[in-house]
Amino acid sequence: MILHPAIIALLVSSILISSLVLYALWYGVQIIRFWDLRSGSSLQLDLERRTYLISTVLAYVFGFQLISLFLLIYTADSLSSLFTGAMCAAGTFNVNVYGYLLLVLKVMNFLLAGLWLIINHADSRAYDYPLIRKKYTFLLFFAPYIVLETVLEVLYFRGLKPDVITSCCGSLFSVNASGVAGDLAGLPAVPMQYAFTIVMIATIALGSAVAATGRGGYAFSLASAAAFFLGIASLISFISPAIYELPTHHCPFCVLQKEYGYIGYLFYATLLGGAVAGMGVGVLKLFRSIPSLADILPSMGKRLAVLSVLFYAAASLLTVITVVRSNLRW
Amino acid sequence: MIELRDIRKIFNAGKPHALTAVDGVSLIVNDRAVTVLQGPSGSGKTTLLSVVGCMSRPTEGRILLGGREITSLPERFLTEVRRTTFGFIFQQFNLVKGISALENVMLPAYPLGEHHASLKKRARALLDLFGILPRESSKAEWLSGGEAQRTAICRALINDPQIIIADEPTAHLDTKLSHEFMDIVGRLKSEQKTVIIASHDPLVYGSTVVDRVIMMRDGRIEAAGQ
Repeated sequence: MILHPAIIALLVSSILISSLVLYALWYGVQIIRFWDLRSGSSLQLDLERRTYLISTVLAYVFGFQLISLFLLIYTADSLSSLFTGAMCAAGTFNVNVYGYLLLVLKVMNFLLAGLWLIINHADSRAYDYPLIRKKYTFLLFFAPYIVLETVLEVLYFRGLKPDVITSCCGSLFSVNASGVAGDLAGLPAVPMQYAFTIVMIATIALGSAVAATGRGGYAFSLASAAAFFLGIASLISFISPAIYELPTHHCPFCVLQKEYGYIGYLFYATLLGGAVAGMGVGVLKLFRSIPSLADILPSMGKRLAVLSVLFYAAASLLTVITVVRSNLRW
Repeated sequence: MIELRDIRKIFNAGKPHALTAVDGVSLIVNDRAVTVLQGPSGSGKTTLLSVVGCMSRPTEGRILLGGREITSLPERFLTEVRRTTFGFIFQQFNLVKGISALENVMLPAYPLGEHHASLKKRARALLDLFGILPRESSKAEWLSGGEAQRTAICRALINDPQIIIADEPTAHLDTKLSHEFMDIVGRLKSEQKTVIIASHDPLVYGSTVVDRVIMMRDGRIEAAGQ
């Protein structure tokens, strides 16, 4: 294991996050089993008091969970110089079998943590804890992934040895490479540009409709999820080559480097932000029939739709500027 | 109407030095009436008042205010209830030193965002009503006992609460000022306010303006009065 400050920070924070999530889950299970707002029992009143603490703790924990994805990518990128063959985070993640598993899980946990925060926020706006059982049931299913992330993080960082020879991003994300990375790199650029344009316009239009009328929440939520995955695929297929001005270089990690103005962080932040806010609209829509949320959710859903539209509009604008300014032509 | 259902308040619950301050109190406090909680020190009067006034949460039991259950409310909603429904008069008056009587009266209304000029006008009207307008600029620490108490009453009334809660309000007053205080309570009652007082002062619970005296001992109600 390499004793790099960022690795220590990531490991310590991940262990802390898992510990606090398990602590919250202990009370979450009691809330799922025993919560009864009609009761004045000491257990019920104790749970009411504790849920303030637990919700606050989890809000901070999941807030850090969101940030830690970027810290992981930054760390992987900055460690690339230690491994023979690695040119960027792509090679660092490929040092052992846990790297890419960890990254995928981290992205999934980012989305889930974002959705949990949205549900928690909606619950805290109402006077009668309408989503309390739902948010802790969500946590019950989410917690194993948080713990698994910690386990994978420990295994991954323990397996980082400076003498390991790894692959560079050029071979991992090449058209000829096998696996998902190769498949994504092999996606045809021009059809992908059309698909990206159509899906982004549709998502922004649907989001604008939700923001204006409050209708079409589920469709927008699905479009947001599609836009996120298509955005990542587009980044590998045609955006990255446009940035590098090299048709064969599809790496989605080199764009995180200083040479490219760290523009990759903007792409990832806008796509992730758009996905969480957009999917949050659909999640909130599920609870619209709850009386105490009836006045709260419409405005909250509209705000999330506006946020998602802004994120996706920013991602689209970045893409357009990148492609137009690039000397690469397809 | 305030309805208390089997209220229990235990400090340091589950620990060896746990103290049961209120032990299973069920009670209905009527609107537009003066109710006195009478009892010796340590009988649970102040604790019960703080629970009724949403300043602390019970360990067990529920409170209904006008039919709405309030003990389960999240803190942000409870703050709103506390701010708009209750006015508090404390035993030590708890005026903020270093600022004037007028500013003390205006303080509880600041979070509501009322225009400063209109708030000041209302605060001055209240000070005038209680005969201490000439002392509006005096700092809190310069006020006499009676003036401090009347300032505290004005502060309790600034948000026009329906319910006034007073904890041992005559503890630091002489007989004349205590009678004056009960006259003010009578005036509040005539304005359709609900007043709940914790006191073991005979001048308070023996006053003609009091509608009901509830006797407490060891955290329980001994006699609930009429």
